[in-house]
Amino acid sequence: MDPRPGDDQAAESSGAADRRRVVRDAAGTAGQVLLAAALGLIIGAVLMEIAGYDWTRAYQGLWLGAFGDPWSVADTLASATPLILTGLAFGLCFRAGYFNIGGQGQMTVGALAAVVVGAYIPVPTPVAVFLVLLAAGAAGAVWSLTPAFLKATRGVHEVISTIMFNWIAFYLALYLAFYSLNDPQSAERTVRVLPGVRLAPLLAGADATAAIFIAAGIALALYWLLWHTPWGYEMRVAGLNPSALRYAGASPVWTINWTFMLAGMAAGIAGATQIIGRPPTYALYGDLSNLGDLGFDGIAVALIGRNHPIGIIASAVFFGALGSGARMMQIMAGVPLDMVRIVHGVIIIALAAPEVWSIIAKSLVRRRAARTEPVSAQAPNSPARR
Amino acid sequence: MRKWSLLAGLLLVAFTVAFTAWPAAAQGQGSLAVVYDVGGRGDLSFNDMAAMGADRARRELGVMVTEVESATTADFLPNLRALARSRQHDVIVGIGFLIQDALTTVAQEFPNQKFALIDGFVDAPNVLSISFSDHEGSALVGALAAMTTLEAGGDTVGIVLGIEIPILLRFEIGYRAGVRWAVDRYNELHGTNKQVRVLHTYTGAFDDPARGKAATEAMLAQGAHVVYAVAGGTGLGVFEAVEQAARAQGRDVGPPFAIGVDSAQDWIAPGFIPVSMVKRVDNGVFAAIEQALAGTFEGGVLQLNLAAGGVAASSLDMLDVFMDEAVAAGKMRPEERVARLEGARAAREAVPPSAWEALNELDQLIRSGDYEVPEALDRETAEYWREVLSN
Repeated sequence: MDPRPGDDQAAESSGAADRRRVVRDAAGTAGQVLLAAALGLIIGAVLMEIAGYDWTRAYQGLWLGAFGDPWSVADTLASATPLILTGLAFGLCFRAGYFNIGGQGQMTVGALAAVVVGAYIPVPTPVAVFLVLLAAGAAGAVWSLTPAFLKATRGVHEVISTIMFNWIAFYLALYLAFYSLNDPQSAERTVRVLPGVRLAPLLAGADATAAIFIAAGIALALYWLLWHTPWGYEMRVAGLNPSALRYAGASPVWTINWTFMLAGMAAGIAGATQIIGRPPTYALYGDLSNLGDLGFDGIAVALIGRNHPIGIIASAVFFGALGSGARMMQIMAGVPLDMVRIVHGVIIIALAAPEVWSIIAKSLVRRRAARTEPVSAQAPNSPARR
Repeated sequence: MRKWSLLAGLLLVAFTVAFTAWPAAAQGQGSLAVVYDVGGRGDLSFNDMAAMGADRARRELGVMVTEVESATTADFLPNLRALARSRQHDVIVGIGFLIQDALTTVAQEFPNQKFALIDGFVDAPNVLSISFSDHEGSALVGALAAMTTLEAGGDTVGIVLGIEIPILLRFEIGYRAGVRWAVDRYNELHGTNKQVRVLHTYTGAFDDPARGKAATEAMLAQGAHVVYAVAGGTGLGVFEAVEQAARAQGRDVGPPFAIGVDSAQDWIAPGFIPVSMVKRVDNGVFAAIEQALAGTFEGGVLQLNLAAGGVAASSLDMLDVFMDEAVAAGKMRPEERVARLEGARAAREAVPPSAWEALNELDQLIRSGDYEVPEALDRETAEYWREVLSN
């Protein structure tokens, strides 16, 4: 397979071999994913069979509910939209070697910012939408910067601080939604955003709006940042080998803050898309129920997407398909939502297993390396210090 | 690797081919679809009551029933649309006030599809808005609460609620009115000038027992004898707080007491819940499909009041039915049944007979139209009645 050494066209055919290897790796990954999905589906079928449900009909429902007609496809994309962004919020930090569990809180403050700006600042439409996204992104960034700053300067572990910040965001949002942003006519939700910032459905009778392009655009931009700019290079180096980053003279403090800020922005904008890009409410419910657990779901989305922006888009669409398919699994096969969730959980675990395993393996290798080479234990975010 | 991807590709193709055909629709006598509120089945309260109505329709009318639960409020709209688009359902029933926005949209998009909405109002010819006289039922349990407190020499009762939606304001003001009516009656009979204070807390959640418990503990600390739980799953925390307070004083039966809501919840904390305000959501769901099949379906409001059996104070007979439900749902073990029923009976007997007399008397007055319970569906009106009823 490999080019023979000494060949006249060694350089050229080695380039071709590289390309071939990339294609082969991609095909291998795709094959691995599809097999994992098949395994998950089979276990799900067994579970449904044991519980006494018609699993062929349930899977028919899953497929038709996700991709059966244009509306289903649109609903799938609508569900995928916020997940792309919360997936990026986790995946980006993971690439740089940090665990951002704070996507939920960053999304929540983003949604709050979207309500405030969207409902109270009357400006022409395109500007208004931009302003809302900007405000939501900024709010999410601010929310993630504090944990990042604590991590960079005081060594506070980001898992703890981001989880705490989720709770602060949760109660802050509950408070504001009930007492400050409350719609006097309808106490269960905040005021609606102005009609000018509400994104219209792409297809009449379906939920998908232009928000899907915003989310995909951000994913592509982050891909470009990670693999085609020096900043992105530093982020990836930080994740692969933090000591190397220091030896190369780059500042880990700077990398941490920068990475978390971008991640927070993505999550904040996810909150905004749920407010301005999801008919018919265009407001935040007082119990935050239209945000659900989208921030936490982003972690699973990122893991299945192998923490790669393009992979995250695919993975979010897959999650969206499961969500949209859940509808028809209930309607067509009468499988209750709890059972649907169990089946989805099995499929998700099957898909995430290879990535989770490789993370554990990598961490073990690092730990062993850290033990034999004490110098690398100096790195601020080496697992040995955790 | 190539072998793997080939195999996976084949699987994908097989999957696609197998599942692309839309299956033939099963034809029945009629078809009812129900979209549940967030929280869904298993709340032993609001949603389970709706499911009971659907079950009855299946049994008595022989209709097909399709049930859809909503994971988040964002799912209401696509859930309703998917059902409407299939054109297979005689009526689609949305459960709960929060679904109102989505149902308004879908009713416009599908003008030939019949819809019904529990606890909300949509002004469209193809929507039957089913409203319950929560204020009347709440007044009944308010009278019982006030009398229980007065007979024990107390002067405080409480009400713990979920999210401050218009429906819940109606519960609160109805409860206050019942308390006031009972206090006036007591003073008249005994020539006294007593007062009963009503504490209220909106917890902001229907699914958070911890918050219900905290709110109730605060009320008990202020001397509340009876606390009315109007908060779905949050209410479970109310029951827990009341039971703990009584047990801390070495009692297996109240006081303090809690009052249940929506279904007959008396069995959940046996000995501490003498009565529940039963809201017959099941009758609402049943009426919608019955009317659709009989061809008498018209848009507008169907008001299910006390006289029409829409709301009621729970009885031991009702409790029997709801315990069957709880056993079927796996929320109660069959062998606990007898003990729980005994506990509920003990709670009923621990409440003074005069409290039951007051409840029954008010029930008659409301049915006959001799007493009209004030109704509040917005903050301003609620504020007005809080003021009026506490003076």
